[in-house]
Parts: sequence; C-alpha cells; structure tokens
Amino acid sequence: MKSSSKRKEEVNLANGGVKQSTWSKALSSNAVWEEKDEFLDVIYWFRQIIAVILGVIWGIVPLKGFLGIAIFCIINAGLLYIYFSSFQQVDEEEYGGTWELTKEGFMTSFALFLVVWIIFYTALHYD
Amino acid sequence: MFGYRRAIRRLNKLKLYFFNLQAAPNRGVGAIKIPKMSTMFADTILIVFISVCTALLAEGITWVLVYRTDKYKRLKAEVEKQSKKLEKKKETITESAGRQQKKKIERQEEKLKNNNRDLSMVRMKSMFAIGFCFTALMGMFNSIFDGRVVAKLPFVPLSYIQGLSHRNLLGEDYTDCSFIFLYILCTMSIRQNIQKMLGLAPSRAATKQAGGFLGPPPQAAKFS
Repeated sequence: MKSSSKRKEEVNLANGGVKQSTWSKALSSNAVWEEKDEFLDVIYWFRQIIAVILGVIWGIVPLKGFLGIAIFCIINAGLLYIYFSSFQQVDEEEYGGTWELTKEGFMTSFALFLVVWIIFYTALHYD
Repeated sequence: MFGYRRAIRRLNKLKLYFFNLQAAPNRGVGAIKIPKMSTMFADTILIVFISVCTALLAEGITWVLVYRTDKYKRLKAEVEKQSKKLEKKKETITESAGRQQKKKIERQEEKLKNNNRDLSMVRMKSMFAIGFCFTALMGMFNSIFDGRVVAKLPFVPLSYIQGLSHRNLLGEDYTDCSFIFLYILCTMSIRQNIQKMLGLAPSRAATKQAGGFLGPPPQAAKFS
C-alpha cells in the first residue's frame, strides 16, 4: 500500500499514466514532459553538475590550456545531446531545435567550470 | 635593540594586514615569511565567498525593493501568462492564417512589450541601488586586491582577455589571475544559479519576448 506522501506525488492522468517527481523523471528514459520549462531546467542543472565534476577532474589531473576547454565543451554538449536525443528521446523541434537545447545553461556552466578548474588547479598544482 | 626589532616585526605585520604586501624572502630582520601558496589560495576562496555574498546581497536588495511588491508580482504573472499564450498561438499559426489572426497576434505582442517595459521600470529602482552599492564595494575590493595574484590560471587567456585577467599585475606571466577576472567568472556562474535556486529567475518565455531589454548572452571567450 502506498504512503500518503507518495500518493500526493502521483496523479492519475486521463490516459492512465502517472505523474512522477521531476528528478525521478529525469533519471528514467522516455519520460513524458508536459511542461517544456521543466525539461529545460533539468538540462540546465545537469549542465551545472557536469561543469563541477569536470572542473574538479581537470584541476586534479591537471589538464591545461585550450585542450582542457575544448574537451569540456565537447563532453558537455555531447553528453547532454545523448541524454535528450537517445535517453529521453524528446522531439527537439518542440524546444526550438537542437541548438536551443544545447545552449540552455551553457554559458553559466562554462563559467562554473572555469571557476572550479581554477580553484582546484591553484590549490593542488601551483608551484 | 630587542625593542626595536620587536617594533619592526609589529610594523611589518600591520603593513601586511592593511596594505597586503607580499613578504619577499631574505628581507632581513623583521621580515615575515608567509608561504605564497597558502595566501593565494586563501584569496581565491575569499573571492568566491565575496561573490556568493554579493549575489545574495543583490537578490536581497531586489527582493526588498521589487520582488515582494504587489505591482511586481502582478506584472510578472501577467507577462508570463501572456508570453506562454503568445508562444502557443505562434506555434499553431499557419502561413494561410487570416489577416485578423495575425493582427490579433500583433496586438498581443504590443501588449506584452508594454508589460515587459513596465516590469523593467519596476526593476530599475533596485538596479540603481545595487549599482550604487556595488560601485562602492568594487572600489574597496579593487584597492584591497590591487597588484595581488589571487589564482593561477590553467590556461593562457587570449590577448584581449589578458587586459582583464592580468589587470594591474606585474610581470609577463599571463597565467597570473587578477581579482576582477576571477570575480567576474564567479559572479557569472554563481548569480544565475542562486536566482534559479531561489526561484527568482524570470521565465524563459518572458525572457524571450523581452528580447531588447535583456539582450543575447555574451559570446564565449576563446582562450589559447
């Protein structure tokens, strides 16, 4: 029997489907996104998480120079592309095209990546 | 003689505290040797902390002057509702749509533009207050961190970025990072995330329709 809190999260839709919380939808493939903004927020926050992780790794290794920046851009764009095109299989045209999805939160994540990279590089490798 | 040496040591400590001089090695009697690394990293963390605080301060000022007012809440809800409605209408409109439908859309766009303008006017108050505070704060921080290398960059920025990243720093090592560059990067990354976390960021539809007020995002800087 489901608890009352879980029951509040789940609402039966007309077609018999069930509405899940945003993050559980983000982690399940082919989720249904009624609100475009909700999916774009997921893309945004995934970008920030990837930026922090890559910034830490690049700072620890360390990876330096333009190569580090280029690889970050490729991984950031590539991973999210695979996420929304293969894992979630969303219709990109609904969101304004692949470019709109690719640039969602990109600049903020790039700045965050640089900050984390600089912090870890300065802390661990500056001699 | 010992009192003189003690006085010199105290004077050096005070100098270091107020004027942020980096102690050179082998300066002789009274010189304070502080490991350069730990001072620099402390500066890096301090600047991130300052950036978080200033972002929170800016949002706090905006909340007090703007966000909590009824006028702003009403305008914001109106703009978001109209933007979403307009976007849906634009998606469903076809090339063969009648003149009347197109005129209706134009009228709605005009109405939305006016509401966006009113919304910007309401935010203007907080922008002036924030601008004033931050000018004073930046002046203070610039003088505190003037000439100090606050971090090491793991890349060499392009020449037109070096004016910012190597601002007021001595030497030709362009991996030395100045306060202003790190502060700008921190603000770019932290402020929008804080706005989103607190639910204060404007909706995407409203941002898109506002267009001229908010402008396109800046071009990504290229680094060598």
